[in-house]
Amino acid sequence: MTLTAPSGAAGPGAAAASAGRGRKNRLIRPARTGGSQQRLGPVYLAITPFFALFGVFVLVPVVFSIWLSFQKYSVLGGIGGSEFVGLRNFEFLVQDATFRRAIVNSLLIWVLGTFPMLAMALVVAAMINSVTKLKSFYRLAYFLPNVTSIVAVTLFFGALFSEQFGLINQALAGLGLSGVPWLTDPWAMKVVVATLITWQWCGYNAILYLAGMQAIPGEVYEAAALDGAGPVRQFWSVTLPLLRPVILFTTVISTITTLQTFTEPQVLFGSNTAVNPNSGGPGQGALTMVLYFYQQAFNNNDYGYGAAIAMGVFAVVLVFVVINFRLARTGDDR
Amino acid sequence: MSLSRRSFLLTAGLLGAAGSSVLTACGSGGATGAGDGDGKDLAFWYWSGAISDTVVKDVAAAQTGITITPSIIGGDFKQKLTTTLSAGQSVPDITGVKGEDMPSFLTQSEAFLDLNDLGAKDIASSFSAAKYAAATTKDGKQIGLPIDLGPTATYYREDSFAAAGLPTDPTAAGEAVATWDGWFDAAKKVKAATGAASVRNTTDIFAVALAQQPSTFVTEDGAWGGESDAVKKSWDLAVQAHTDGVSGAVFDGTGYNQALAAGTIVGHVGPAWFGLDIASGAPDTSGKWRVTQCPDGPANIGGSFLTLTTACRNPQASFEYIKTLLSADNAAKSFTDASVFPATLAAYDLPALTAGQDFYGGQATIEVFGPAAQALPTVYDDANNAAIAAPYYTELSNVEGGKDATTAWNDAVSAAKQIAQRAGVQ
Amino acid sequence: MAAPTLPGPEAAAGAAAPAPKRRPSGAARRRSLLPHLVLWVGVLAALFPFYWSVVMATNTTRDIFSTPPKLVPGTHLLENISNVFARIDFFGALANTAVVAVVTTALVLTLDSLAAFAFAKFEFPGRRVLFGLLLLLFMLPAQLSLIPQFLIMRELGWIGQLQALVVPALANAFGVFWMRQYMSTSVPDEVLDASRLDGCGFFRQWWHVAVPTARPGLAFLAIYTFVASWNDYVWPLIVLVNPQVQTLQTSLAQLNVSFGTDYSMVMAGALMAIIPIMVAFLFLSRWFVADGTAGAVK
Repeated sequence: MTLTAPSGAAGPGAAAASAGRGRKNRLIRPARTGGSQQRLGPVYLAITPFFALFGVFVLVPVVFSIWLSFQKYSVLGGIGGSEFVGLRNFEFLVQDATFRRAIVNSLLIWVLGTFPMLAMALVVAAMINSVTKLKSFYRLAYFLPNVTSIVAVTLFFGALFSEQFGLINQALAGLGLSGVPWLTDPWAMKVVVATLITWQWCGYNAILYLAGMQAIPGEVYEAAALDGAGPVRQFWSVTLPLLRPVILFTTVISTITTLQTFTEPQVLFGSNTAVNPNSGGPGQGALTMVLYFYQQAFNNNDYGYGAAIAMGVFAVVLVFVVINFRLARTGDDR
Repeated sequence: MSLSRRSFLLTAGLLGAAGSSVLTACGSGGATGAGDGDGKDLAFWYWSGAISDTVVKDVAAAQTGITITPSIIGGDFKQKLTTTLSAGQSVPDITGVKGEDMPSFLTQSEAFLDLNDLGAKDIASSFSAAKYAAATTKDGKQIGLPIDLGPTATYYREDSFAAAGLPTDPTAAGEAVATWDGWFDAAKKVKAATGAASVRNTTDIFAVALAQQPSTFVTEDGAWGGESDAVKKSWDLAVQAHTDGVSGAVFDGTGYNQALAAGTIVGHVGPAWFGLDIASGAPDTSGKWRVTQCPDGPANIGGSFLTLTTACRNPQASFEYIKTLLSADNAAKSFTDASVFPATLAAYDLPALTAGQDFYGGQATIEVFGPAAQALPTVYDDANNAAIAAPYYTELSNVEGGKDATTAWNDAVSAAKQIAQRAGVQ
Repeated sequence: MAAPTLPGPEAAAGAAAPAPKRRPSGAARRRSLLPHLVLWVGVLAALFPFYWSVVMATNTTRDIFSTPPKLVPGTHLLENISNVFARIDFFGALANTAVVAVVTTALVLTLDSLAAFAFAKFEFPGRRVLFGLLLLLFMLPAQLSLIPQFLIMRELGWIGQLQALVVPALANAFGVFWMRQYMSTSVPDEVLDASRLDGCGFFRQWWHVAVPTARPGLAFLAIYTFVASWNDYVWPLIVLVNPQVQTLQTSLAQLNVSFGTDYSMVMAGALMAIIPIMVAFLFLSRWFVADGTAGAVK
């Protein structure tokens, strides 16, 4: 969307660039030509409100969070009532079987919910790019799932996948197949969450890809056509390589967001009956890292351990983002 | 709407924001959050089904000089309450506390008023003694009055028992299921005759069996009990429900309602309040259900309390309010409206409870639950039990998914040990 | 929808610009049907849940769960809606959500475009350090600061109040990145230079040159911020402890947990909660379908 926008240069790669390539590719022209020095007072004034808020609500919390992870924090005692416990929270974290389960769950949801989704998005983008009619209708239709609230969508899917009388199982039964326990089987639960993510984000990514495709100059395709490349060859040898920055960008963003999945499992499986203190569904099959963090921090009120979990989540996400970049670079070398 | 939105809008307006056009939409004031100082507007939090909504409203309307604003809090009630208590903001004056959360709130008793100062001692004897004591701190502070109890019992369907050749009359059926062995025999017969399960899932059996033990995951002197005979015995009974094929292995609410309606689950072992879940989940099965005694005798599961927080702006009036809510008459109404089984003993003699119930084919269930309520064992429930218990429940559901029971037990114990250690249990 | 009319220097990307067509126009017309076929399958998949939610919200729960299920809309919509109103303060939650989303969006647009303009077009001491800091912290996951933010809200006395939703949302680095990137390419330096020679200071340059030129970029940031604010769930779940002050998302979740057995009612609530955002999106979408080809479809 956005990215199709006017100034071609700020195309989809631009967003990627802001995360990755940053200043390298674009020289910023200082707006002081002709030797007349612009007054800097208003410039600082302009960035002050943002940075004041940024300092209070991002910088301070991050530092505070690191401090917290070394504390046994007393909820009612406040900062004064907390006790320094060294690395104990982290010792617990590495031994914590539940956190390990949450990592595995999150990774599986990531794999199931990211790669098929991005592949489908590429196909959709290529298709939209190739048609001339209904282009903007397709964009809207594919983008629509992304603006709906996750809570509402999760409620829809919860009803669709409901075990005995949900539409999916009814359809399976109609085909003579047996139903799947979508909301109780640990694997099926992850599939449901991944399906939800795919449904909501496929169109969004397709539109990013589309914008990237439209930024590819027609001459490149003409040259390829002159060399005898058909549409499929053109897609593999022209479109895909030129889309690499956008693909990397979407993969990184999808990795970051799916590894931090929270709302879907929280709404589907968050609260159970009074007797069963579990969350994340039966067998904690959909207990994600962030859901576990939420439980420990705001249900058990163990802020110190919660902060340690948050650091653990960050570490896991970082590892996989780095892997993404590494893979992208290996591709470069070839 | 709320004051918060209005004051917020003022702030926003000062910031020169563009939201001012919406201002007018929000001017219809009314309800008040916590924070007013005059002690007349009192906020009351409870959850759906904790107590009769009608009783809450009617008694509130009858109060003079104070306005009580009841709010039904959805989602995780404990989380909301701990958050607001730890924040010290938007704290309700009066709040419900779930039975399973009480041990943890007892350790934060400084956030609640001692009801003994307001006259709780005088009415203590009108409640079930075991339940009343569950809201007493070690140093004798009384932080809550019990609303209800969950004396456990066996639920069964008359037609299923008949099909299995079992006695259908509650008294005779009760003799058949007086022990866990008897209950399993009966459940297996039902399974053979109808193909249906006799309990929702293994964790229901686990919960009832645990509730029958004097102490479980943490002993009264703070020691680790996660591998004790008490826990292992409960675990084994739960696993048996799986190996005998009498568990429905249903874990989600919708699936359970559907299973009840379809008749693939025809029984239960659980607390008195569970009857409402069955009745609302499968209204079409009305008349077929019966209740009889719990295998190995009754235990208590759940049952909630009413408390006053230290933020309460009018303690005496609030205390009178909750006292009235829990009078025998009102407790009986709550039973009728919401299947809340009273902790107020005098209610047991009232017609609302002694009458036969249509859902149970005219059976007067008080004849089962009344004596059970009087015979509840005194148990020790540690504040850390809930957190430590979680891995056992997880692993039980894994067992129903096909995991080996011994491996599951070992995994549960090691995960639970780690949680216990983090909580400081040795 | 209406053909988009875009301000600004849009010529560059417009496919309708007299740039040569990618594929020779001789390509078989038959082949162009296949993409439409594939795309329509996707469109149906994307839109089906909306249709199905309408079916559920207009029937009774019993209809939905009957075999075979009802597949067409029914007549119980009003009944389901009134059940929603009986259980949650829907309009209160709607008003809260709208106020928070509108105020957040307006403030984000102002603050972020100001900061972004400074970063995009001005050289000043500390610029690199500040931007690097922004980039670094942008990479950190949000939940890392969740607990401290909650404790800060507690100190400010904002727990349970709407400013607790707005103010932290203003500190989102994304908008500054996005607008900086956008402005550095779309706002012409020549015009800035000229305006400065005319005696325009920083703020007038921002208002008269940068903001008008960057309108499409701002429109994207607006919808991004609005949707994110409207749909935010974790943070309201944590800070909005006062049952009288809830957003649509937290109210909906409560509806599900407390009354989850009545699917039709829950769906009616969910549907009502997404309609406003859909309308807003369709209204603003002309900014997004803005390329030359859009004109081809009326």
